[in-house]
Amino acid sequence: MAEQKTILVVDDEPDVLTYLSTLLEDSGYRVVQAGDGNQASDLVKLNPPDLITLDVTMPEKSGVRFYREMKESQELKAIPIIIITGVSEDFERFISTRRQVPPPDGYLAKPVNREKLLELVGRLLTSA
Amino acid sequence: MDDQYRHIFDAMPCYLTVQDRDLGVLAANRKFRDDFGDHTGRKCFQIYKRRSEKCENCPVEQTYHDGQTHSSEEIVTTLDGREVSVLVQTTPLLDADGQVQAVMEMSTDITRMKRLERQLRVSRERYRLLFEEVPCFISIQDRDLNIIEANRLFRDNFGSHFGCKCYDAYKHRDEECLDCPVQRTFQDGEIHHSEEVVTSISGRQLNTLVYTAPIRNAAGEIQSVMEMGANITPIRELQSQLEATGLLISSISHGIKGLLTGLEGGFYLVNTGMEKEDPKRLHKGWEMVRRNVERIKGLVLNILYYAKERQPQLEVFDASKLVEDICRQMESRAGENQVSLSMDLDVDQPEIEADENALRAMLNNLLENALDACRVDKKKPQHQVWISYQSFPSHAEFRVRDNGIGMDRETREKVFSLFFSSKGTEGTGLGLFIANNIAKAHGGRIDVESELEQGTQFVVTLPKRDTRSTAVEEPPREKGID
Repeated sequence: MAEQKTILVVDDEPDVLTYLSTLLEDSGYRVVQAGDGNQASDLVKLNPPDLITLDVTMPEKSGVRFYREMKESQELKAIPIIIITGVSEDFERFISTRRQVPPPDGYLAKPVNREKLLELVGRLLTSA
Repeated sequence: MDDQYRHIFDAMPCYLTVQDRDLGVLAANRKFRDDFGDHTGRKCFQIYKRRSEKCENCPVEQTYHDGQTHSSEEIVTTLDGREVSVLVQTTPLLDADGQVQAVMEMSTDITRMKRLERQLRVSRERYRLLFEEVPCFISIQDRDLNIIEANRLFRDNFGSHFGCKCYDAYKHRDEECLDCPVQRTFQDGEIHHSEEVVTSISGRQLNTLVYTAPIRNAAGEIQSVMEMGANITPIRELQSQLEATGLLISSISHGIKGLLTGLEGGFYLVNTGMEKEDPKRLHKGWEMVRRNVERIKGLVLNILYYAKERQPQLEVFDASKLVEDICRQMESRAGENQVSLSMDLDVDQPEIEADENALRAMLNNLLENALDACRVDKKKPQHQVWISYQSFPSHAEFRVRDNGIGMDRETREKVFSLFFSSKGTEGTGLGLFIANNIAKAHGGRIDVESELEQGTQFVVTLPKRDTRSTAVEEPPREKGID
């Protein structure tokens, strides 16, 4: 069996965190959880994961800041990020406010389609 | 008088007279004779003012009295009935002994000057009146956003603390607003506008449309900026009813999407828990389902209270039990966020006459708000939420207190506004708005006490409707039984 990949799940909603983590763990991934962008930042620096799922609509917009930080960092920008959000308008605003930052590697709307998420995660991890 | 002096006296371009002690005109120059006719044997006041008695303040008399020069402003009437404003100056004519022998009075025609002065005053008053009475909030501000002048409507609504900062008077903020139109006008000299929500001294929220214009000095430099705010609250209120529906839908759909994800997560854990015969996972999943169903219930209640103004369905019930019930439901959520929940209930008089479902929604919203305030506060290791119920002879009181992030003054003032949420995109901005409406529908109110980083306390005061009738209907309860 190939080496176990690590996924960082970032969401401020504990139930969503539990859901995504269990789902990904059931599919054979190792999961690290973060409740907001700041916590995610610390975890990434400590131990860079192979992929990140990120909720952008967290208090203080720290999801957006975290995304920008990631993509502006030479060492970390290669880590694929899947944005998972409940508000499509917010996602569009988020996309339009970024400058010199590449678009996210994947985007899923809440409520999350399980098959799509797993398929996207699998594809991004094999191509990486 | 010498001929030469007589000539000069005659040619003077003002009215010149020489008067005796009784104000009889002894001599007068040509201009005087031309405009006032023959003076022989007549008194000054008879000729100038057509009066039978002397004037009250007569400068000629004063000069006779003290030997000094005096002056005054008078209106005199010429032979042909023309009124002339004159500046009167008197000089004593002394004899060899230095005694006042006669007084010379010189009256200069200042009618045109007077007219200009009057016009200027009238126009100044007119502008002042315009400035004062314009049905807009007008303030004049300097570069540091100090209010140096303001009109009546502004003073009535925001106080007359001249020299205080615009953002303090309008918004009770400690610092400048992010995109200040006054600053922009100072920078580019152009007219700018923006829409602002401001708070009057009576605590009312006003939507204003603000325009700013430069005021330049003679050199063309911008000296100050005039800010004019029109109160568009009635328009916004109408509009907001329409917009609110749209906003409500988008805000609710966001809320529901989150809850559905949680619910789906719960299903996933329940299903896989059964497949894997993992009771721990199953239990966890079931908790998630229960929690999210509870929250959807709360959301639906909020929508109901928002969608329709309901008359409270009054009934007598046990308020302590209601609080206990709500706390039980919130307990697990509080626990997940490391918040301890404590109650202080009035067990002696637990009955309250109110709409139970409405109070449930109100307290739920206040508690959720308190939990959120704790959850986002990363500065304290331990958080606590207190809820209390206390019955007084005239009113019932609920208190919900937390030691979470707290609010600044601006947030505190807008806390009950519809769709105002300080929780990023997570809050619907419905909860506290509805809580406040429920208190109001019961004839009560909610007061907020909050300090940034310290915590917040909401105090709900509900007046008792008919204390006597409930007291008679209800059997007396034993103390400490509940």
